[in-house]
Amino acid sequence: MIATLDAPAWAPATTLRSGAGYWWTGFTWMLRWHLSSLRMWLMLLVMIQALIGVGYVLGFALFFDEIPPAAALWVSTGVPVLNLILLGMLLGPQLVAGVKEQGGYDFLQALPVPLTAAAAAWYVVTLVGGLPGMVITLVAAELRYHPPFAISPLVVPVTLLIVFTGTMIGYALAHAITKPMTTQLITQALVFVAMGFAPILFPAEQMPGWLASVNEWLPLGPMATIMRDTLTDGLITDAGRAYLVVTVWGVACGWLAVRALGRRR
Amino acid sequence: MPVAVAVATDWSFRAEDVTKVYKGGVRANDGLTLRIEPGEVYGLLGPNGAGKSTLVKQVIGLLAPTSGTLAIGPHDLVAHPEIARQLCSYLPQAQMPIDAFRASEAIELTGRIRGGDRATVRARTDALIDALGVEEWRTAMGLKLSGGVRRLVGFAMAVVVPGRLVILDEPTNDIDPLRRRLLWRQVRALSEQGCAVMLVTHNVLEAEKAVDRLAVVLDGRIVAEGTPSSLKAEDRGRLRLQLMLVPGSDTPATPPWLSSAVRVGNSLVTALDEAHAGHGITWAQGLVDAGIAEEYALGASTLEDAYIRLTGHVSDDDEA
Repeated sequence: MIATLDAPAWAPATTLRSGAGYWWTGFTWMLRWHLSSLRMWLMLLVMIQALIGVGYVLGFALFFDEIPPAAALWVSTGVPVLNLILLGMLLGPQLVAGVKEQGGYDFLQALPVPLTAAAAAWYVVTLVGGLPGMVITLVAAELRYHPPFAISPLVVPVTLLIVFTGTMIGYALAHAITKPMTTQLITQALVFVAMGFAPILFPAEQMPGWLASVNEWLPLGPMATIMRDTLTDGLITDAGRAYLVVTVWGVACGWLAVRALGRRR
Repeated sequence: MPVAVAVATDWSFRAEDVTKVYKGGVRANDGLTLRIEPGEVYGLLGPNGAGKSTLVKQVIGLLAPTSGTLAIGPHDLVAHPEIARQLCSYLPQAQMPIDAFRASEAIELTGRIRGGDRATVRARTDALIDALGVEEWRTAMGLKLSGGVRRLVGFAMAVVVPGRLVILDEPTNDIDPLRRRLLWRQVRALSEQGCAVMLVTHNVLEAEKAVDRLAVVLDGRIVAEGTPSSLKAEDRGRLRLQLMLVPGSDTPATPPWLSSAVRVGNSLVTALDEAHAGHGITWAQGLVDAGIAEEYALGASTLEDAYIRLTGHVSDDDEA
């Protein structure tokens, strides 16, 4: 059949889309899709994030008659990282698992969106869901402890990097694992490990030596280190390695996430 | 001497010798070869587990074939799944994830993701909502929609900016008979604009009315292909005799002139030669009198009978 002059505007295209315009269309409209599809949850998500953050910050003081200033500073600078990790690694994958369970995952996967654009859209969604909670947590910490914050402008790129790495780890897991139940179990286990066995709320020196060494290679401890580096002055002396570890994890997991997203079984 | 001439691109869909063996050795597709022309509505019929969905998932790049080729026009879909996603529109069998969307919004967003411009997508969305008879749910949230309306919205999402190949997996599930007709009209409109349409279904009676050609798939292979009338040709001169058995009764022994008896629930479907019509009635009436059957019907054979003969299954004609 040959398309005639009176073919409607919606008739199937004969050309392929490509280049930056194709990427940008996929990114912006996928982002709109996610924001719309999560709009009932996004407010709730921000509130839960804020509750978790504020709860941790206030709750930690209860361990002490009077919280030592050093402990207050570690907690105040660690909980925002915990916020971001929870969001990227726990809620993100669980949302993907939810879509898989409901059905419709195949439909989304079959839409013509470049894989990197799809991953980027998901990253921005996580930022939108995570940043308010983080800011509220920091404000609560300031009001409760008046810790000696020395906030550097670097906090912006560092936050973007932490969210990116956390999101991509979760995104890679969510897409690589076929069974939604397995995804939920693994991510929940990871988060408990993160809270118990990674130096996020306390200095690594307080852990057994071997565990501290392991954590130097894992992303969670270094995430907290670089966040602290931008929020305080003098608390962290040598953060270079931590920046490198988080960046390498981010790049590697970003690559894995895009591969998992495009993988054909 | 060959002369280069400008020819219009042939946008047909071709699957050649497609084989898919899953890990563990299950051979879901076994050398499938088929071709769908632009403007053609092609039915892929077969019982659950025949390998229809496996083929579809390979076409849209969710699965990779073990061997064989898939192409639309000049494009190799196996080598370029990202091109497959542009050239194919897909309505999965599962419901769409649109709980949090208004019906019109879900359709428009999908159209924009698929690359349509604002004016075209908006006009097409409005036209589809009207044509499918779902105007009263235009601004309703997906969560509140009934299964049938949700299905129609999903159909509109799949075809708002259609690709060269439109794949519809059981599109009429949950939809009422009136709106099914509206949906089939839109399927025809797609083919009139040059889309190749692949209709995946196990509802034979519905497919018979909607498709130009069809393939019957069984155990990963095409066991018959042709127009609905050509597939029925072998059943010409034959009648179908259907009995409603008394619940709980055993399947009665069938005389030799009755063929391909298949029982589903309390319904027993058989075929017989026109010459044996009188015998058939006598036999069936005897079963009713004996309290084994509640009623019977003798009628012209349909595509369903060809399907039963080919697959040994009764199609799911929950509504036809």
